[in-house]
Amino acid sequence: MGKPLLEVVNLGVKYGPLQAVNYVSFQLEPGRILGIVGESGSGKSTLLWALTRLLPEAAALNSGEVWFDGEDLLRLAPDRLRALRGSRISYISQDPMTSLAPGLTIGQQMMDVLHREPWPAREKWARAVDSLDWVSLPDPEARMHMYPHELSGGQRQRVSIAMALMLKPDLVLADEPTTALDPTLEVEILALLRRLQRETGAAVIFVTHHLGVVHSLCDEVLVMKDGDIREAGTVAQVFAKPQDIYTQCLLRCDPARIINPTRRLPTMADAMAAPALPMTGPAGRIDTKSPAVLTLEGLSVTYHRRGLIPTVLGGKTESIHAVRQVSFDIKRGETVALIGESGSGKTTVARAILGLAQPEAGSIRLNGHELRGQNRNGWTAARAKVAMMFQDPGGSLSPRMTIARQVVEPLIIHGRATEATRGRALELLAMAGLESRYADRYPHELSGGQARRAGVARALALSPELIVADEPTAGLDVSVQGEVINLLNGLQEKLRIAILLITHNMAVVRHTADRAVVLLKGQVVETGPTAAIFAGAKEPYTRALIAAAQHNIPEPESL
Amino acid sequence: MLTFILRRIALGFLVLTLATALLYILVQLAPGDPASAMLGPRASPKIKAEFREKLGLDRPMPVQIVNYLIAVGQGDLGTDLKTKRPVVETIAAHAPHTIALVGAALLLAAGLGIPLGAAAAVRRNGWFDRALGVASVSLISIPPVVIAIYGMLFFSAHLGWLPAIGAGEGFWDNLRHLLLPAFAVGIGWVGYIARLVRASMIEVLGANYIRNARSFGLPSRMVTYRYALRAAIAPTIAVLGVGVGYMLGTAAFAEIVFARPGIGKMMYDAVTLRNYPLTLGAVLCATALMVAATTVADILNAALDPRFKDGRE
Repeated sequence: MGKPLLEVVNLGVKYGPLQAVNYVSFQLEPGRILGIVGESGSGKSTLLWALTRLLPEAAALNSGEVWFDGEDLLRLAPDRLRALRGSRISYISQDPMTSLAPGLTIGQQMMDVLHREPWPAREKWARAVDSLDWVSLPDPEARMHMYPHELSGGQRQRVSIAMALMLKPDLVLADEPTTALDPTLEVEILALLRRLQRETGAAVIFVTHHLGVVHSLCDEVLVMKDGDIREAGTVAQVFAKPQDIYTQCLLRCDPARIINPTRRLPTMADAMAAPALPMTGPAGRIDTKSPAVLTLEGLSVTYHRRGLIPTVLGGKTESIHAVRQVSFDIKRGETVALIGESGSGKTTVARAILGLAQPEAGSIRLNGHELRGQNRNGWTAARAKVAMMFQDPGGSLSPRMTIARQVVEPLIIHGRATEATRGRALELLAMAGLESRYADRYPHELSGGQARRAGVARALALSPELIVADEPTAGLDVSVQGEVINLLNGLQEKLRIAILLITHNMAVVRHTADRAVVLLKGQVVETGPTAAIFAGAKEPYTRALIAAAQHNIPEPESL
Repeated sequence: MLTFILRRIALGFLVLTLATALLYILVQLAPGDPASAMLGPRASPKIKAEFREKLGLDRPMPVQIVNYLIAVGQGDLGTDLKTKRPVVETIAAHAPHTIALVGAALLLAAGLGIPLGAAAAVRRNGWFDRALGVASVSLISIPPVVIAIYGMLFFSAHLGWLPAIGAGEGFWDNLRHLLLPAFAVGIGWVGYIARLVRASMIEVLGANYIRNARSFGLPSRMVTYRYALRAAIAPTIAVLGVGVGYMLGTAAFAEIVFARPGIGKMMYDAVTLRNYPLTLGAVLCATALMVAATTVADILNAALDPRFKDGRE
């Protein structure tokens, strides 16, 4: 073993009374990639930002030493620590949408990173352009003059990476750098990181909740839970023979790691006891005789953008064809997955089904009744049969109402206030797997998985025939994704609900959907039974999504 | 950016036109007949009718409005009933004093409020922050008129440092006359702006990109002023833009107290004398100032944060 680049000894961080990082120690050798994996609240990000004392005010370092190049970063004078930041140690942070300052151009921000360098402005500019080119950002010279909001999420993350690696640091600290990205983009960014790591020889600490990412990117791994390191070792060792029970459960219940489709996934609670059950066929569950619950035929939606002055002056308006000629149907008891990247029109289809977007052409039939052209009352009646589960589980609950109060809210809205009793609320919560002690809590007192369950309970309030589930597992820890999938599958079997699943997480598709519809730029490019799509997808895009779900990161040479 | 500026200005003119039309209607609907007011209660009906015809008051309302708008567009606001000279001239003589007063008050509010608020946010919960918090609330709660009167009593009557009334002659004299009224109008805003800047600054300092800027080793002054303040200042600029309208109202009080020949004082005199054309002209002038201020605020915001511009289109 060589001399470590970074040595962390007994590091402790407190948030108020909570010991968020519980006296942890580890080492990192130069040029190695260390993955720190754990669920939300495990202290993994806190640990990362503590290394260079960039914690929020509420957090306090209460123990430890961080040795880097012969100096303890926790006791280094602020000026000397600042001199290391950006030049020898740099960060790539989580959300590319908020990690760049909105009011400064990309060029200004990149030049600022070089503020200490003795080069003339022209050379700084040239070097910044070079780094953007290095991270494969097309047309770097023009991007330098752009503002962050003019770039896509993937492009912004490339900019952040260019900024972090511009001065060739020895250590790169990456805090979930791909979590906010689409799966296909995530794979691209990971491939980029791997290429840059090889070219610069920097050591990397990569914090993520994604086991697959660790497996394909890292050399070593730390598994964290509640502020403790539960397991440490090389990736090969830990993934092949996990020693700690928590790691073992985590590895067993990640939906992405379960290749054989199953409608009942193992969860953290029973991962060691029950192996994944084989997939049960759709026979008996899907009603093939009655007309489909939902039928879309040739659905097209166009958005128009116009301002006040162009309208007054009769200027031309800009039209965006969000969705063109989309057709599919969902039968009783069936789950259809609508797959596509951000901006492909998935959400627009959902909005059209709920009457929130005005279709230009085509038909939307619910149990054979045409919904297009319905008046307000017609739509209200239709919405009682179609329930929406929104993407952000916490954000789609009202922060001012208790859970019991808002799960029966749909009954009140649809004029059935007499049924909106506490008993009904508890019944709905029980169906969604939430115990009655959560009934009087407010959303901020729930975990992500519990908030998701509350969202499911609310969706069930009107006994819908169709549930539109928008990314039901997005933002949830691996350990609870399986639970949510099991919940939806179980409810479907019991209540014979039709489910339209909107997602780009192929792992979820595999374990829930009977059929899949793939959208690309507003048009259906592929459709068929889920198993057939997984076995032999025709579209390169679909194949890329499937590969992304399995974390087959392409080798840099093939890019 | 240029298109945005031109569009904002065009929109400003549109708003001003609508406001002018509305003002005209309001004045005509208000109780009291301009003919009786101007000619006196004992004027015969015939004379009144002739007077109305002369002013075009007998024609249908839409025609009157269009005619009025055309006249305003040509710079004709009618005749000042007291001096018998064009209203535009009277306004041109008074407006600079009000613009100077509101401008000085604005400068005071922004020039003191923004740095104080930013400094408090950086030293959150320190003694400076707490002291500023108390001072802000005190400044906000004292009515400007009280400040005006006590300021005059202390600095003019007691100490004799500053002139009490009038606007003065020449630049330096003007400036000396400006100090007390500007202080009275602007000082309450210092506290208000400081609190506003502090609150949005604290929010921005918690943002991801601020931590990022720190993680690149940028000096803290650069992070505070170039990254944080730039983003934190947007709501303040919008508030100041609208605040000009409020300051115009306060300025009227200050002008009366300090006998300063501005628009406010002029309007006060015009209303007491029922000098309709001049009243209308003064209100129009104030409206124009207000619209101009909000337009400038929008353009400034777009320059500081380009998302503002793109989100509007």
